[in-house]
Amino acid sequence: MNGLSLKGIYKVFGSARAVENVHLDFAEGELTALLGPSGCGKTTLLRMIAGLETPTSGSLHLGSRDITALAAHKRRFGMVFQNFALFPHLNVRENVVYSLVISGTSKSDAIATGERLLDLVQLQGYGDRRVGQLSGGQRQRVAIARALAQEPEVFLLDEPMSALDAKLREDMQVELRLLQQRLGVTTIVVTHDQREAMTMADKIVVMSRGKVEQVGAPQDIYHRPENAFVADFIGKANFYDGVVEDGKLRVNGSLLETNSPANFINGSDVRIACRPEVPCLGRRDVAGSQLKATVTFVRDVGPARDIHLKTDIGPMVVEYARGEEQDDYHVGQDTIVTLPLDGLHVFPEPRQDAS
Amino acid sequence: MSAISDPEILANSALTGRSRLSQLSVSKLVIWALVLFLCVTPFALIIAVSFGEKIEGASWEWGFSLANYQRVFVGANWPEEVTFLYLQNLYYSLYYAVLAAILAVLSAFPFTYLMTGLSRRAQSAWLVFILSSLSLSEVFIVMGWDVLLSNRSGLPMVVKETGLTDWLKAVGWFDTLREWGLANPRNVKFKTSVFATVLTMSYLVWPYAVILLYPPLSRMDRSMVEAAQTMGAGPWTVMRTVILPAVRLPLFGATLLLFVFLLGVYVTVSVFAEPAKQTMAVSVYSAVRGATLNAPFGAAQAVILLITAGVFLVLGQWMSRRAAT
Repeated sequence: MNGLSLKGIYKVFGSARAVENVHLDFAEGELTALLGPSGCGKTTLLRMIAGLETPTSGSLHLGSRDITALAAHKRRFGMVFQNFALFPHLNVRENVVYSLVISGTSKSDAIATGERLLDLVQLQGYGDRRVGQLSGGQRQRVAIARALAQEPEVFLLDEPMSALDAKLREDMQVELRLLQQRLGVTTIVVTHDQREAMTMADKIVVMSRGKVEQVGAPQDIYHRPENAFVADFIGKANFYDGVVEDGKLRVNGSLLETNSPANFINGSDVRIACRPEVPCLGRRDVAGSQLKATVTFVRDVGPARDIHLKTDIGPMVVEYARGEEQDDYHVGQDTIVTLPLDGLHVFPEPRQDAS
Repeated sequence: MSAISDPEILANSALTGRSRLSQLSVSKLVIWALVLFLCVTPFALIIAVSFGEKIEGASWEWGFSLANYQRVFVGANWPEEVTFLYLQNLYYSLYYAVLAAILAVLSAFPFTYLMTGLSRRAQSAWLVFILSSLSLSEVFIVMGWDVLLSNRSGLPMVVKETGLTDWLKAVGWFDTLREWGLANPRNVKFKTSVFATVLTMSYLVWPYAVILLYPPLSRMDRSMVEAAQTMGAGPWTVMRTVILPAVRLPLFGATLLLFVFLLGVYVTVSVFAEPAKQTMAVSVYSAVRGATLNAPFGAAQAVILLITAGVFLVLGQWMSRRAAT
């Protein structure tokens, strides 16, 4: 086992806590996404892993080795920067083999490795080009090849897709994932894009305000969010405030049945999340809470259809994928919506933060 | 009624249009004439004067003689006798200016690099301080260094009083300093020396060096440095393989600019340089205003100095354009 582990990492800038008490294990060969809104401390955490920032307290271990105090240039974790940070005074090949040249690898070996890496990122024949002659996607490939040249034990990427346009981004996510699986290198990607995280990652670490909110496989995080922040940040959800009443939930006067709030005591305030694909429209044969609903808006976005409803518990959005059996809903239509027993996520009312 | 007034209005508007046009072109013309007068006339005058002839015991008169240029290159009594006195002055102009420009840029570079790593506030405080130091005149700076380097009250005294002189004599380095002209039999001395001249000249342009290097260094993408670090580059390797190549053109440009500026330094050289190692700027001045009162000869030297500066600027441009492609 040669994974990376973080123990009790704190990072304080002046009076601001950028990262707070982070304990994480990155298994060897796995791709982990650090996911969170901007300013949540994910990039600071990545920079501490790279050795570009020193933790205020806590320790980092690579296998059994304590690397907390090891300088970035001794860790040699390959890193892809948000703006790629290619060297404009070097051509593509020289960029890629930079780490080899400064570590004294022979010229012929460096050139051979350079060609192999350019091949790997599908940039055969681009070795002699200037960096300035490349497109955004090509630059990213160069940055990836350059970071991999030194065969790093850990491969770090800081928002690697943010400089690419939407179409290219999706392609590169798949490509990067395939490359990472082929090389089997322990990889950590920072992103604020949950689709990107879910496309690429074996494991997602959701962060907010410097803290880890949840760690888990993408599907786990989506289907079993541990708190309201995660439910809100990952995917879409309808949110309601309610009170627990004899194993049921009272929301705006309606009583919802669920099989999840067993561990809440009577009268406790809760926040309820319901994914938009979960409610069933117009069917009475599903077990759950039935509510009267009126269609207020229909949004057809091609592959899916969002139906906005007015219900007794508040506004609700229900999403149908194309092809699912459905009536043709129109604005003003009255119908029935059913919330299945296992379709509600119930969380304690989030702390009212002072900030 | 209206049929009559219409052509009148038309004529009026055409008139105002024409007068506005002529007003515009007149003001443009005036500006151009002013620019031309201010930029070209002094140079043209000096070039014209440089072909003039000195009248012994009196002033000089216009003419077309190449004697002054001949005197700069091979001396007045050529071909009977050849002297390179004035070319030697030119040589020292170049020599001091090159050394001082390089010294200023080399010392300003690490300072400016560290400065760009500071907080915005600290950076602007430093910049204000450095900009304000530009208000010091050359005379003022030279006076300061004159005291600092003087034998009786300056650094040499400190060296002697702290026992450094005796130590230098004991380890044998004192003789080396004497060979370099930085010591007399009793103590170290800086006046007059190449060392003091170059030091003061580089001090003179040091703030300019910082101001010239600040924009490229602060614009430089710091993530390149971090990228190099994650690829195993220690601080020196980063400096050598990333920072210096990234700013090599601005470094070269700053050195060139300071060099050309330093070709014309007068006060520093006349105070700190040895009499036998004076520069062309000093000899220009002594020809024009000094004992000889030979304006045409001074003008000829000034033209040579100007052409030298121009040649270096053009060469520099050519070299940096070649390096950039």
